[in-house]
Amino acid sequence: MTAISVRELRKSYGGTPAVDGVSFDIRQGETVGIIGHNGAGKTTTVECLVGLRKPDSGTVEVLGLDPATRRRELARRIGVQLQDSALPDRIKAGEAMRLFASFYPRSANWRRLFETWGLDGLRNKAFGDLSGGQKQRLLLALALVGRPELVVLDELTTGLDPLARRETWELIGALKTAGTTILLVSHFMDEAEALSDRVAVFKGGRVAAFGTPDELKRAAGASSLEGVL
Amino acid sequence: MRAFAHLSATELRLLGRDPGSLFFMVAFPLMLLFLNSGSKTPGNFIPGYLAMILAIGGMAALPGIVATYRERKVLRRLATTPMSPLALLAAQVAAQLVMGLGGAILVVGVGMAALGVQAPDNPAALALAFFMSSLMTCSIGFVIAAVAPRARVADLLGLLVMFPMIFLSGAAVPRSGLPDTVRALGEYLPLTQGVTALAESWSGTPTVLPLLILTGIITICTAIAATLFRWE
Repeated sequence: MTAISVRELRKSYGGTPAVDGVSFDIRQGETVGIIGHNGAGKTTTVECLVGLRKPDSGTVEVLGLDPATRRRELARRIGVQLQDSALPDRIKAGEAMRLFASFYPRSANWRRLFETWGLDGLRNKAFGDLSGGQKQRLLLALALVGRPELVVLDELTTGLDPLARRETWELIGALKTAGTTILLVSHFMDEAEALSDRVAVFKGGRVAAFGTPDELKRAAGASSLEGVL
Repeated sequence: MRAFAHLSATELRLLGRDPGSLFFMVAFPLMLLFLNSGSKTPGNFIPGYLAMILAIGGMAALPGIVATYRERKVLRRLATTPMSPLALLAAQVAAQLVMGLGGAILVVGVGMAALGVQAPDNPAALALAFFMSSLMTCSIGFVIAAVAPRARVADLLGLLVMFPMIFLSGAAVPRSGLPDTVRALGEYLPLTQGVTALAESWSGTPTVLPLLILTGIITICTAIAATLFRWE
């Protein structure tokens, strides 16, 4: 089963192409990493996938739906963590969780989600008072509260210390085991390599290479994914 | 509907946690009423204070809140959930209305209990005038949020619009004491229509003209805000 199918996706801003003919498929249950430098078209592609932007041309299908026309239907089945998105400073972690849970028809038990993500003691803490790592974990937990079939994570562990990163990786591993399809946009090659079944390398608005981390390294003659870029 | 109620309740709680909104929408009008308690008819000040409460919330507080939500990508994040970001804007109006109602009930209640203020002549018309005035101040707030490039600018613009408005429209101080030229200026301010509608239903005979003008302002400002609003 295909979870995401993208064909010849193009999107320009003011005449400058950000995404210039991207095509790829992601199978259900697969974890796929998208890597690339700034301006390679990663975020724009992700925004087209979750219905935040309308493509100029090309076709996008996510869980069998066109995100541009059926955003709300799709939104019930996906969980998204956006790069640099935040919450109001005065909202408490527990309030945010209950609020987001109320948006979904079959939301997860948010108390358990709090425990899993080590947020239990922070329920009454305001978002503005959380540390960078705590904020990130809360935003991740919010992306999962609707029991999504597909999770899209843009810059998952940016701003986290090494220990918090490792912990997050473990939780993503558990999500993967549970059969969730995961799309992971990352600057960190080690992260993409550790978590992804396959990796798409974006360059200049196109997919320059797509394969398992081993395949990519072999093709590029590199010892790490860093070398592939 | 359950999700929207939840969203509105959350926004109301956040508004209640903002010391500025809490003070200026709840404590400040009460304070002004007491400063005028030496007057023979302190009740005459109340319709203006109701308009002032709504102007402070809708014109001064709301733009900064909405612009911050845009700046911090809260609106974008919400667009990836089954809840529409438009619902968050509607929840702002609901929160402003309830918060304004809280401040209004307090100032009217204290006036009646402690200062011998008479009950409003026409409570139904007063409620309608209050509702329309609230929508009007929020619609102006959304225009400010739409044109302001950043949250800090939205805050500043909100204050720049709200302050002259509450002083020249008869909300914070009665217009009868204003110099002629300044009083004439007040004729053209949107909030003056709110003050008139509230005052007419508070004591006297409510007329339909101020409500019609308020409807027009709400329609025009909502159209402008909808055209100019940026989600990111």
